[in-house]
Amino acid sequence: MIESQEDKMAGRRLEELRLYLRQQPVMLALLAVLALVFFLAVTVLSRTYHAQRDALGNRWYSRGVGDLSARRFESAVTEFRAALLYSRDNYVYQLNLAEALIGLKRTGEASAYLVNLWDRQPEDGLVNLELGRIAGQKGQTEQALRYYHNAVYAAWPGDQEVKRREARLELIEYLLSIHARAQAQSELIALEENLGEDPAQQERVGDLFLQAQDYEHALGAYHLSLRSDRHNEGALAGAGMAAFQLGRYPLAERYLQAAVAGNPGDAQSADRLKTTELVLRMDPFRRQISVAQRDRNVVAAFATAGQRIKSCGVPKGAVASQPNLADRWARMKPQISEQDLRRDPDLVEAAMDLVFGIERQTSATCATPVGTDLALLLIAKLHEGN
Amino acid sequence: MNHEPAMAAKPMNGHSPKALLQSVFREERFFLILSVFIGVFSGLAVVCFRFAIGWCRLYLLGSGAVLSPTRLLLAPTLAGLVIAVLVIHFFPLTRGSGVNQTKAALYIYNGHIPIRTAIGKFITAALAIGSGHSLGPEDPSLQIGACLASVLGRKMRLSRDRMRLIAPVGAAAGLAAAFNAPISAVLFVIEEVIGRWTAGILGSVVLSAVSSVVVMRWFLGSESLFRIPAVQLERPSELIAYSILGVVGGLASVLFSAGIATLRPWCKALPRWTQYFQPALAGLLIGIIALLGAPQIMGAGYEAMDEAMHGRFTWQFLALLAGLKIVATLLSFVSGTPGGMFAPTLFVGAMLGAAVGGAEHVILPHLSGSPGTYALVGMGVLFAGFLRAPMTSVFMVLEVSGNYSIIVPVIVANTIAYVISRGLQPIAIFDLRTRQDGLELPSMEEQREEGILRVEDAMRPVEGPVLDAQETVDQALLKAEQSAADDLLVRLRPSGWNSVTKQQLRALAAEGKGEAAVGSLLPILHIPALHRDHPLETALRYVDRWPLVPVVSRVDFRQLEGVVSQRDVLERYREFGEG
Repeated sequence: MIESQEDKMAGRRLEELRLYLRQQPVMLALLAVLALVFFLAVTVLSRTYHAQRDALGNRWYSRGVGDLSARRFESAVTEFRAALLYSRDNYVYQLNLAEALIGLKRTGEASAYLVNLWDRQPEDGLVNLELGRIAGQKGQTEQALRYYHNAVYAAWPGDQEVKRREARLELIEYLLSIHARAQAQSELIALEENLGEDPAQQERVGDLFLQAQDYEHALGAYHLSLRSDRHNEGALAGAGMAAFQLGRYPLAERYLQAAVAGNPGDAQSADRLKTTELVLRMDPFRRQISVAQRDRNVVAAFATAGQRIKSCGVPKGAVASQPNLADRWARMKPQISEQDLRRDPDLVEAAMDLVFGIERQTSATCATPVGTDLALLLIAKLHEGN
Repeated sequence: MNHEPAMAAKPMNGHSPKALLQSVFREERFFLILSVFIGVFSGLAVVCFRFAIGWCRLYLLGSGAVLSPTRLLLAPTLAGLVIAVLVIHFFPLTRGSGVNQTKAALYIYNGHIPIRTAIGKFITAALAIGSGHSLGPEDPSLQIGACLASVLGRKMRLSRDRMRLIAPVGAAAGLAAAFNAPISAVLFVIEEVIGRWTAGILGSVVLSAVSSVVVMRWFLGSESLFRIPAVQLERPSELIAYSILGVVGGLASVLFSAGIATLRPWCKALPRWTQYFQPALAGLLIGIIALLGAPQIMGAGYEAMDEAMHGRFTWQFLALLAGLKIVATLLSFVSGTPGGMFAPTLFVGAMLGAAVGGAEHVILPHLSGSPGTYALVGMGVLFAGFLRAPMTSVFMVLEVSGNYSIIVPVIVANTIAYVISRGLQPIAIFDLRTRQDGLELPSMEEQREEGILRVEDAMRPVEGPVLDAQETVDQALLKAEQSAADDLLVRLRPSGWNSVTKQQLRALAAEGKGEAAVGSLLPILHIPALHRDHPLETALRYVDRWPLVPVVSRVDFRQLEGVVSQRDVLERYREFGEG
């Protein structure tokens, strides 16, 4: 009896408990506890899952970096793609993938990744630089300039100044490639101010000034470069070229002689030196020469011009109203001798005017002048307006 | 007498803790709280499901981006064999995508989905997708969510009405977590599963979807399924280019649907023993396609979609991928392999979109849309054309892209695709599959497009005079006698309507009330009035109680536009049924 009563009591308690548990607030509380337990379990699972994926991503990334530095771009692309399977939005993985794609010349794909990266970090220097390069290749000048400028002022890891300088140098090269010389000169001047005295950098800047046809600044940059290393053949040749273009032939001769002596294989400098020497030798208006030498130079120049006009024939396109240069030369020819020139100094001017006229005319209508003809043309330019 | 104790007890009960708890936990409120839990549990389950797919992919196909030929062939084939055994012997309800099963739970099984279905779906779908079968995780997530909701609802002993609605609540949670897009998930469930907007269900669906997305983002991050490239539409004339995409997408949708319509019954009709090998054969064929140079078609294919959006492939290859994905998905799906259709649909749409965009760029290089823009629009196009969820398709693209400037191309292209698909393939894919499974579930598309009868369709002009409430019974009777109509309307003052019959008037006159105003003698104060735009169903509530129900203007309630009677309504319904 007692047992059955106890059983009944236990059964009633159990029933009460069951009813209590069926109450909605209690059920919700139990549900909350269950959710918490489930949540914790999934947290553990999630950590394992993510740790494994991170490890896999890093492993593939490391392989990719190795292949990228060894310029095995195809493998690098595959490996970076594999790394991205485990960390799709990883900035570094994407950037490296873009670099590898650029290596494979798949600029369209690379550009898509880079634009995505740019959206996330518009101040990233490398991304801007790469986008600038791609836009430049595609002929999208406006965009290219925007990205290059961003790169110049962007945040760079490591030595920021050096990276920015490199970016600006690349921008200048791009500007020169699209013949935007004025913009290139501005950038070069800005660059020069922050350049320091690194001879190699100064030489590179000198080369760029040369390309931008800013010969004065080019000469200045080469001077600075040569101050640190006066045997720098590249700088000597560049300085020679700049001085040559500026019409400072004695200076050009000095630089070019040193350049050719240092590097006999530099055919361009040797050629230019030859022209410079001819200019210096043939110029009748040089102050240092005697009157006799001047007259000899005039006679020689007149003869050279005569040869040039004969080899060219009647210059095509000559204005009909002007007397024919060949006729003028033929009429003047009998008067051009050292004695006549000594007797009539005004004849020197007249003869050289004709010579310069012939050389200018023929340079526009005949084959490019070389040797003495080129020297005479340069002398003409040198004394233009005098 | 009886009211007094009740009135006296009410304030006391109102303040007692039990009463307070009861008022807080009224079923509709409890249902809302439960929806949050459903969202949390569904989110957690979907996170685990994603982990399972990731692990299956890793261990079955390898960790690299380039897969070994042996694994490409063996993984989907052997997984197919295992899946077939599991489905046939242990989880027979896990076949297919899961959307129809959820609808069936709502309309047939009073919200009941066995827990075994969720377990089976989790295992078999993870195995299928992870091994490279061309299926997606969204529909299984939807079904897992629905199943968890059903289990919770049963444990909480919800009423039958609530139980019926609980599966869609879980479905929205599952889909939202899988897509990381709560708005699209809510819309899809409303558009394709429930089929109607009601405040009661909408709150629960939204709560569950949002809570599941919060849980999912907690574990998997908030990044969207794709990295969306810059979207731009410079000239409105470019909409023509997107219209072409709509046409191509519509035709592709029809092809896709027709493939399922033809091949699924054929596969089901094959001898039973072949069902053990159908998923394996599908897996082998998919492996061969991958081996021949298109591994992108394996699995859900989100990585490939992402790459297509970023201009990785040529337009010719993109078009090829779209075609091959249709083939691969057909193979996986008709073989009975469990898995979803959402991801393959998005894949085909993305590839087709990027291909059409690429081809158009070759012809018209000045078009401003990037391959990514076309791929995004393409996803919406296939969603609208193949899954026939036009509203979800628009919002899905907006939600995934987070860019509202794409809305016009999306609407244009999706509408075209939807119209073409609807015209060439009258039965929507979900309805088609339901009918193939021998079920008769309501077609949401048909419901949407079903014509609604309104009061104006049954309304007729007033016959006979309209009496004024101030008129005497004698005056009214005189007018009534001159009319053939038995029932007459009475205009009340200052407003309202009533009705009276000829017999009533005669009786009142006989009782000596001929000088009394008609309005003062009528047994009820007034009868309800209808408006011509009311659904005809509304009229049914009144026409059996009053022989004539007035139809009045919404501007002036005293202006009578017509009347309806029970006979008019029934006649109209009969004509509608016949026609």
